[in-house]
Amino acid sequence: MPIRRSQRLAARREAAFAALLVAPVLAWLGATLLYPLAVSLALSVENVRVIGSVGRFVGLDNYLSVLGSAAFWLALGRSVVWVVGNAVVQTALAMAAALVLEQSFPGVRIARTWIVLTWIVPTIVIVIVWRWLLSTSGGMINPLLIALGVIREPVGFFSTPASAMATLILINSWRWFPFIAVMLLAGLQRIPGELYEAAALDGASRFARFRRITLPLLQPTLFVLTVIGTLLSFNVFDIVWLLTGGGPANATTTLPILIYRTAFKGYRLSEAAAMSVVATVLLMGLALIAVRTLAPREEAR
Amino acid sequence: MRRSVAITLALAVALAVLAILVILPFWWVMSSSVKATSEIVSTSPTMFPRSFTLEHFEKLLGGSDFPRFLFNSVIVSLASMALTVAFAVLAGYAFFRLRFPGRDLLYRAILLAYAFPGIVVLTPLYGMMSAAGLIDNPLALVIVNVTFAVPFAIWMMRAFLAAVPVEIEEAARLDGASRLIVLRRIVLPLIAPGVASVAIFAFVSSWTEYLFASVLIQTDAHKTIPVGLAGIIGQYQVDWGLMLAGATITTLPVLALFAVIGRYFVAGLTAGAIK
Repeated sequence: MPIRRSQRLAARREAAFAALLVAPVLAWLGATLLYPLAVSLALSVENVRVIGSVGRFVGLDNYLSVLGSAAFWLALGRSVVWVVGNAVVQTALAMAAALVLEQSFPGVRIARTWIVLTWIVPTIVIVIVWRWLLSTSGGMINPLLIALGVIREPVGFFSTPASAMATLILINSWRWFPFIAVMLLAGLQRIPGELYEAAALDGASRFARFRRITLPLLQPTLFVLTVIGTLLSFNVFDIVWLLTGGGPANATTTLPILIYRTAFKGYRLSEAAAMSVVATVLLMGLALIAVRTLAPREEAR
Repeated sequence: MRRSVAITLALAVALAVLAILVILPFWWVMSSSVKATSEIVSTSPTMFPRSFTLEHFEKLLGGSDFPRFLFNSVIVSLASMALTVAFAVLAGYAFFRLRFPGRDLLYRAILLAYAFPGIVVLTPLYGMMSAAGLIDNPLALVIVNVTFAVPFAIWMMRAFLAAVPVEIEEAARLDGASRLIVLRRIVLPLIAPGVASVAIFAFVSSWTEYLFASVLIQTDAHKTIPVGLAGIIGQYQVDWGLMLAGATITTLPVLALFAVIGRYFVAGLTAGAIK
């Protein structure tokens, strides 16, 4: 049948054109992500100490020493605290912001755009901003708290282990909540208004409407955002490194900080590679769940 | 639904809190960058500057390597932006408009790449760059920046491409236009806001990149702002005026870009999330 053959030909041409468009990106990502990952894998079963030097095959020794070291498990534990803390603070702030921005009021369009300000500003600026605002000499927050009578003397926010971690989580969440908020807002705006109107007619209170309509319908969006937020906050390196360097007393040494230090300050490259591989396996497992919910089904055409 | 007085009041309070949370820290930093040093370190902070001086900016631009860093950052970010946009438009069109075997699988693989921890490939990439003679070369930063911006950029293209009616493309195809012509002459102009959004995302993510720049670049001559400014912080321990001026100048280009295309940017950000 000639029609079917010409259809098949058209499909093949379309696929060839698509391959041409996709090939550059795939080659690029293959060379800069997949290949280095393979190199990491190879490094992790050798005993290379400094970049560029040659190592010898040691099997799973690095994995055994990493999995047997207290530093690794402590860093992993801190990463979990970091990720969970960020997820909770970030999502709560974002939810509140999204509910506010969903209302209509003068200037709402501007507010919906500029809310992402903290997210687009360079990390180094965020670091300077908070270093200065929280400074013990001058600054803004300490004098403000003293004036309000909350504290008597300036507090070193980064000087005790617990407060350093808590402060970092607040800063990072402050940076990321607008991103989550605009995503949640998009989810909120898709909930049909009639649902709320019908519920209001039936006498449901505002809170009941939120709990019975908003939350359940928003749940898939919330889930995906939580997973993405988890992955992205796990990867955060610069804010932590530049604000505390992993201190005080390693209290903010999360896994990325530990890997960086092991490779570039401790000169134990292979051990760092083994940690990287373990971290990748953990993260990509999580990411697979998220991607399954994000990828397009048949609606692309 | 009409709002009661109580709800209106609550909304106003919530809005005020939100505005303070987002804007106040930046206002403090930017307004303080023109204060005299004595006012900056004063224990009774001022909301509006009482003194006015440009000495911090003069010191930063005249007495440090900052102009060099600024120049490097602009070059690296523009190059990363151009490459990312080209890749995202081409791949986005294929992923969201064409049918080909393995499409879903490849798209998922690229989404995975977005969440990929940079620290994992840091040492191997260092080794590769060193073998290629690209250590201390801005090109190395461009290569890495594109890698980490392109997955999200492709994802952002989705909503903009979905808004282009397939019928327009089909009509042009029937008139004898090749696929490449359709993409260039018909689709590209229609997704201009999407291209702008992707551009701003790529520019900003390159503008802010610290980790790779701190390892791949070694001399002051090639440093970008994040690493250069971090170095200045260490160098002059408590010169807050200098740091605040640096923070202000670093923020301005991003603000300017965002003022022009911020609306499309947020639209692209959120529309991509809609299934």
